Amino acid sequence: MTDILDHKTSPPPELLYRNRLNVRRDLRDLWGNRRLVRTLAERDIRASYKQSFFGFGWAIVTPLLTVLVFTIFFKRIGKINTGDIPYPLFAYVGLLPWSFFTSSVSSGSGSLIFNSTILNKVYCPREVFPVAAILVEAVDTVLATAVLGLLFLYYGTAPRLTSLWVPVLILVQLALTVGLTLAFSTAVVYVRDLKQVLGGILQMGLFLTPVAWGIRSVPGRWRAAYCAIDPLAAVIDGYRRVVLQGKAPAWNLLLPAAATSMVVLIAGYYIFRRLEGGIADVA
Amino acid sequence: MSPEAAGLAHGTIRADHIWKRFRSDARRWSVSTQLNYWKARRQSGDEDFWRWALRDIGVHIEPGEAVGLVGPNGSGKSTLLKILSRVMHPYAGRVAVSGRVGALIEVKAGIHNELSGRENIYLYGSLLGLSRREVAQRFDQIIAFSELDDAIDRQVKFYSSGMQMRLGFSVAAHLDPDILLVDEVLAVGDASFQQRCHDRMREVLNQGTTLVLVSHDLAAVEATCNRCLLLVDGLLRGDGPIRDVLGEYREWIEEMAAGRQTVEAIVPLLKAIADDGERGSPRTDGPLEVRLVLDSAEAQKAMLFIGVSEGPATPIFVIRRNMTLASGESELVCRVRHMPLPRGRFHVWVGIYDASWRELLPWHPATFFDVIGNRLMKAPRGIVRLSPVQVTADWDESRR
Repeated sequence: MTDILDHKTSPPPELLYRNRLNVRRDLRDLWGNRRLVRTLAERDIRASYKQSFFGFGWAIVTPLLTVLVFTIFFKRIGKINTGDIPYPLFAYVGLLPWSFFTSSVSSGSGSLIFNSTILNKVYCPREVFPVAAILVEAVDTVLATAVLGLLFLYYGTAPRLTSLWVPVLILVQLALTVGLTLAFSTAVVYVRDLKQVLGGILQMGLFLTPVAWGIRSVPGRWRAAYCAIDPLAAVIDGYRRVVLQGKAPAWNLLLPAAATSMVVLIAGYYIFRRLEGGIADVA
Repeated sequence: MSPEAAGLAHGTIRADHIWKRFRSDARRWSVSTQLNYWKARRQSGDEDFWRWALRDIGVHIEPGEAVGLVGPNGSGKSTLLKILSRVMHPYAGRVAVSGRVGALIEVKAGIHNELSGRENIYLYGSLLGLSRREVAQRFDQIIAFSELDDAIDRQVKFYSSGMQMRLGFSVAAHLDPDILLVDEVLAVGDASFQQRCHDRMREVLNQGTTLVLVSHDLAAVEATCNRCLLLVDGLLRGDGPIRDVLGEYREWIEEMAAGRQTVEAIVPLLKAIADDGERGSPRTDGPLEVRLVLDSAEAQKAMLFIGVSEGPATPIFVIRRNMTLASGESELVCRVRHMPLPRGRFHVWVGIYDASWRELLPWHPATFFDVIGNRLMKAPRGIVRLSPVQVTADWDESRR
């Protein structure tokens, strides 16, 4: 008893609590809490639109305005060649996945801080918060996709049959999004400055990624390496190829992008698990 | 349910060798502190940067048990509760908690400010793993208990702290948890709501729920729980039947108070304990026993006064004893057979004077006790009660 009273005493090392990595258990846990994910997502959707006058309209108006700005600046001033595809359509197909990615990563990375009142009081697998944040952005993206339909109507064209490749591209994009969101959501709790850093990176990414311009502006021999560093470039190019140009994805670009995305997903999960244990101590 | 809990009956808590530490340096994330930390860690170990909040705690709780958790401020009660509710990971040790855990750990339990009370109830329900339908079935019950009918569609950020606590407790206690963890938050509620919370806790206990209650209101703990844990400075100092542990705790408070005693006296008071004579809390109209140990340099005639007050120096009643102090240490026991006080905390004041009213021991608060019993009956509107009480007592003197 007396040695316990000494504040320098530590527990024996074999007793140290370890947060074990167990993908199967974590996935099962997450699935078991799907109702909670839905409730959280519903809450955020309702909270963000309830108090705004225009409601769900914002999910559509914001990307439309961005495309308008892109059209004026890049098309008219930057003289970007999109072949026979109307520029607004070209830009919008790039903008949709990009805005899903950025808004997911930025709102998902703040989700643990935002929900600290809950996770300090009730137990639940912490993944539910970033996952719910991504779900909210997914709903917004689905709404914004409606605008794509309007653009197709306006230009009198339709998505090509090769659009069946889209789910593959979505998988690659999701792996990247979830991985980054998981890593940042926990890291931000410890080092709040990361949120600002992340905001800056995402802002630059909009111009470094072929959202407003096409991947053909990158010299051919650099493209694969470029897509390995910025997987979204390959994903966005893929969307354009399958939806607008009627071609299969460029595998020489998509495969390195998919590899990077998987690495990010695994690393993100690992970082999340390692950092998650101490969140209640500092949040 | 924690993965280790497989095979345990719902409502079981198994915690072994729990250690928890927190960083003690304030500016944790400034770069210079962090550099110092890494340097120290490489050279001499990082112990100076940490403060132990819990040390080697082992607690096993069976389904349906009602366990009180007492201890002074900062002793680690809330930390232990957070670890049991799996909100916090321990630094070392094994925790297995089986079943659904309803926790009211801070005033705003599981509550989201931007949402209305109604949405919060559903949110909390899904945190506990209940479906919307299951929550809907209990919804009216929750509203009725929390008395928030008009406010339920208002955003929670506009609630008073009492309202937030009422919502939090009602939700936690009505969503059929297997384990109910309640931290010292009930104090925010008014007296009648506190009473109903304790009634509800007993109800939930009768349904077989496990209860862990943290409180400084020892009488409330004693009335609700049958087992008690005493935490002092992160160590488990007591675990056993409620009366024994509360007795230990009171003695511990006494020792602490004695250590801090600054009353200058000719006849020092070494020890003062007030209870029901069997180390329990006195009950209204039951016995009250005050035991004093005095140290007098010489045998002398003296007048001893014991006063009971709600805190201030003006007592509700005073008991006087003309006596002869023995030289050396002597114990004095004062028994009140029918103590006429309602529920609450009362302080025992003691003073000793000689025949010419010279102060041998100045009038000062020596200890306190918590009464189990009914609340004070209300006086008519606008009538101020002075509480004049006549008390008879038996006395016992013995040399030590």
